[in-house]
Amino acid sequence: MSPLDAFADGFARRALLEAVMVGGLCGAVGVHVLLRRLPFFTMALGHATFPGVVLAALAGISLFAGAAAFGVVVVAVVALLGARERVDDTSAVGVTLSGAFALGVLLLSAQAGFSRDLTAYLVGSIVTVQPGDLVTTAVVGAAALATLAALHKELVLGAFDRGGLAALGYPVLALDIVLLLVIEATVVTSIPAVGTVLAVALIVAPAATARLWTERLRATMALAAALGAASAVVGLAISLQWRVAAGATIVLVAAALFAVSLLAAPRHGLLARRVAYRASGSGPVSASSRA
Amino acid sequence: MNLFQPFAVPYMQRALVEVLVLGALAGAVGVLVVLRRLAFVGDALTHTVFPGVVIAHLLGRSLLAGALAFGVLTAVLLTTLGSHRRVGNDAALAILLTSFFSLGVVLISRTRGFTADLTVFLFGRVLAVDRSDLYQTLAVAAVAALTLAVVHKELVLRAFDPEAAAAMGYRAGVLDLALNLLIALVVVAAVEAVGTVLVIALIVVPAAAARLLADRVGAMTALACLLGAAGGWLGLAVSYQVSVDHDLRLAAGATIVVVLVGLFLLAAAAAPLRRRLGRGRVAAEGGAR
Repeated sequence: MSPLDAFADGFARRALLEAVMVGGLCGAVGVHVLLRRLPFFTMALGHATFPGVVLAALAGISLFAGAAAFGVVVVAVVALLGARERVDDTSAVGVTLSGAFALGVLLLSAQAGFSRDLTAYLVGSIVTVQPGDLVTTAVVGAAALATLAALHKELVLGAFDRGGLAALGYPVLALDIVLLLVIEATVVTSIPAVGTVLAVALIVAPAATARLWTERLRATMALAAALGAASAVVGLAISLQWRVAAGATIVLVAAALFAVSLLAAPRHGLLARRVAYRASGSGPVSASSRA
Repeated sequence: MNLFQPFAVPYMQRALVEVLVLGALAGAVGVLVVLRRLAFVGDALTHTVFPGVVIAHLLGRSLLAGALAFGVLTAVLLTTLGSHRRVGNDAALAILLTSFFSLGVVLISRTRGFTADLTVFLFGRVLAVDRSDLYQTLAVAAVAALTLAVVHKELVLRAFDPEAAAAMGYRAGVLDLALNLLIALVVVAAVEAVGTVLVIALIVVPAAAARLLADRVGAMTALACLLGAAGGWLGLAVSYQVSVDHDLRLAAGATIVVVLVGLFLLAAAAAPLRRRLGRGRVAAEGGAR
């Protein structure tokens, strides 16, 4: 049986299309997430959209709209808390993450029969995506990628040299907010496919893998998008074949690609470093300290 | 509202003991987590014990043992992987966290009752804690508290002055491993009763609130223990009262977190006030001299 046979059914084809789009989008956006060291924030964003989804479900409006609206609130709360001198950014994110998630659970627990909907939301349910979801993913993904492409130069400069960006007269804060909104849109879009807990994996892992293979930023983004889409497709095929949870399998494939690259990548892999270390015969190449 | 009346029934008493012990322990460890900005490590550990719990469940062994094995494994991995220059600590954490969690989800998705199990793991079942659960929690908490008592001074030194700690001959890696293991122990002690989302809240939120109100590490730790335990008590009481009096079911674990966040917001509101008072006192003392 060829691997493509798994995609013969209509639902499987829809899932395949969703996987390619979400994987590619997450991979490309992930490079910016890594450049700005935002993985924990992205994680929090995934959790924190939860009460928005619950409220939207109760009010009968689009889950996308609910999640997106709550995501904006979370971005604002983290920014406000983090601005206080005695609350560092990590703690601000931690407090916001747990508080928002608990709020969602509280709202949901007041309803009857909550565990089922919750699971689909937490770990995704890519095989049940509807044509409407596909359209949303396509539109949001195109808008997000177009924004990244249009502002590429400014966003990259902002990641490496905020002072320089400000000195050139660019609105630094506005650019930060645009990037955070793009990340938020990406998280919200990928929730139906891989779920809130695992969206961050599809954003971070392909980008981290790509960074091990290439140094040029545009190449990194292209490679990350390709790796994201490939992880999603392979994971989906495995999950259809063996009947295991799709979102989690996709994440495991992405993580496996990362683990292999971490060992074997030509310049930055652990093996290559060991060889270089032996060859140079000087002090350790990497310090393993954690600040 | 009555703070004592809900605890007349045995299952509420057990839940109360559980959250008081966990709240105090998590508060004490949480201060070190907040000082070192390791909230993400705490979050990662809460997710990475999941496959351990699932495997223990599938093999019919003690869930605690499974969680403990994976907690220790993650603590060691987190410490030894360190930071790869091009990967970054937080990216490595995110990948480790999600892939371990996914492993658990994949394993459990093959079984029946998948959704119910996942929900229990995430949100706990503090009201269903039985006597043996309680003893297990107490045993793990005692080990964690003992460990904390032994290495607390060194961990504080490592947090504030890593160079001095290194100069005094402490190995940074060993101390980091000790702290990661401590966080893992708290997570393991708590995860079956209160769920992962609540654990991370118990660790981070009281400590962050205490940091707003206290300047010295000792005072911060005492306050964090107190806030953690008080949040647990208040949350249980509120959740019970609301469901009995108003027929509105509020999940106990989530109510505790919301109460803790409420306490944090109160602390955030009170902090500027306290600082102004403190400044006034310093000025008055300076004037008297």
